[in-house]
Amino acid sequence: MNLTARVVVNRLAQQCAYKRIVTFSTKPAEHAVPAQDEPKNVEVPPAAPTQTPAVPPTTPRKPIIPANYRFVYPEFLPDPKVEWRNSIREKLERLDMLERRKQIDLPEFYVGSVLAVTSSDPHAAGKTSRFVGICINRDRCGLRARFVLRNVIDHQGMEVVYELYDPTIQKVEVLRLEKRLDDSLFYLRDALPEYSTFDENMEAEPLEEGAPVPVNDIKVVLRPRPWLERWERQNLRGVANIDQYLKDKHRLSSARVQKPWEKYDMMKHYRSTIAEEEQTEIFAEVHTELHTLELQRKRNKRKRTFLKPKHLA
Amino acid sequence: MNQADVTKLMSQLRIAVRPNKRNLKNPDGPEGRLLKLRKTVTALMKHERIELFYNRADEARGYAELLISNAIRYGDRHKATMELADYWLLEKQLVHKLFKVLVPRYENHNLSYTRMYKAPRDYPGTYYRQSVLELRGNPYPTLDTDHSQNRNLLHNVLLDEARKEFRRQKLSDLVKSSQ
Repeated sequence: MNLTARVVVNRLAQQCAYKRIVTFSTKPAEHAVPAQDEPKNVEVPPAAPTQTPAVPPTTPRKPIIPANYRFVYPEFLPDPKVEWRNSIREKLERLDMLERRKQIDLPEFYVGSVLAVTSSDPHAAGKTSRFVGICINRDRCGLRARFVLRNVIDHQGMEVVYELYDPTIQKVEVLRLEKRLDDSLFYLRDALPEYSTFDENMEAEPLEEGAPVPVNDIKVVLRPRPWLERWERQNLRGVANIDQYLKDKHRLSSARVQKPWEKYDMMKHYRSTIAEEEQTEIFAEVHTELHTLELQRKRNKRKRTFLKPKHLA
Repeated sequence: MNQADVTKLMSQLRIAVRPNKRNLKNPDGPEGRLLKLRKTVTALMKHERIELFYNRADEARGYAELLISNAIRYGDRHKATMELADYWLLEKQLVHKLFKVLVPRYENHNLSYTRMYKAPRDYPGTYYRQSVLELRGNPYPTLDTDHSQNRNLLHNVLLDEARKEFRRQKLSDLVKSSQ
């Protein structure tokens, strides 16, 4: 698609804009300007007395924002619910998030990655506690972004909800960077405990630099009913043995609540997402600082690995 | 607070989008609502200008816009877009029209692809508001009223006065030259 050409046309069109289309979106409707190629009824006399000064063609800069930023930093995108949008608050929140990221290294992770979070805890022995677990969900946006870690400790399933930008968090380490087949892994609560058991003293598994994040296509084995949720209705891809616990009534009811038409409901999706133009705008705003932080992290990592040899003689 | 769903990229619409959908009263629920809208979108693509109830037109407008914008963005080699076109256009020859006629028409367009007008309600007709929905660049005569000849508009009043003054001036010049 000739996106660059369209951007150029937009810029030119903005200069002779005479009408704005008011939208519910909080963003300026910069595309809602009259087209150049609209047939004009009024004919311009050939010898116009005032010549508009030639505008130097502003070549749009190449997009330098990586395409995966929306997956790496989903919390930088605002809530798509229009009633809750507030561009000033969103901007201030982004600034605060960047400030926090300068203080603490918040690495890239996904649902299915194994993390270790060290946080301040007034009741713990050394005033800090470290929890290792698999991230089973990420939700909320902006400063309230949070994630859930799950682990089985002493045969007891444990889950901790952390807010990503919580000032009591001291350190976030990614021990294993990978994705799973599903967007949230709440079904691990009903799976056999070995699927959510992770060693507390686990070593970080290094991933090659620049390699795509691997998708772990492991299929977990569920316990028999009763379950916490009706998993058969959720079209889970990461569950192996769901069929063995289903009776006909479950199959029927699950078929009844399926909504196969929703994937064609474009407006539903449009209302639950942030349009691409707006995403670009937001990430262009924070890209420089995020990129600097990434470079800094890389440098620190190299330094640390050099200074601390693992096996001493 | 929800996170934005980022799996699929969508272009910004150039029309006003309501924060919530209208349910368009239907015994078949959301599926029936979509069927209603599919009929409307198909008719719009076919006839390029249709007259219908305002609510239904406003709902269908977003779908028509997104269908065209997806077709422009991904082209006819993209499987998901083709499925989408197949679902939304009930008459299959319109799929050809979408990719061969409408995509070239709107490729370098900066405006919305559709246009909506409020239409009068005939007395004592139905309670619902009427509207006209059309694709831009359609072959029909325009629905915009031409105000350029309206005598009461300010620029026309000023032009009239200027003309009068010009004539007066000329007359007085004539009188002067004849004396």
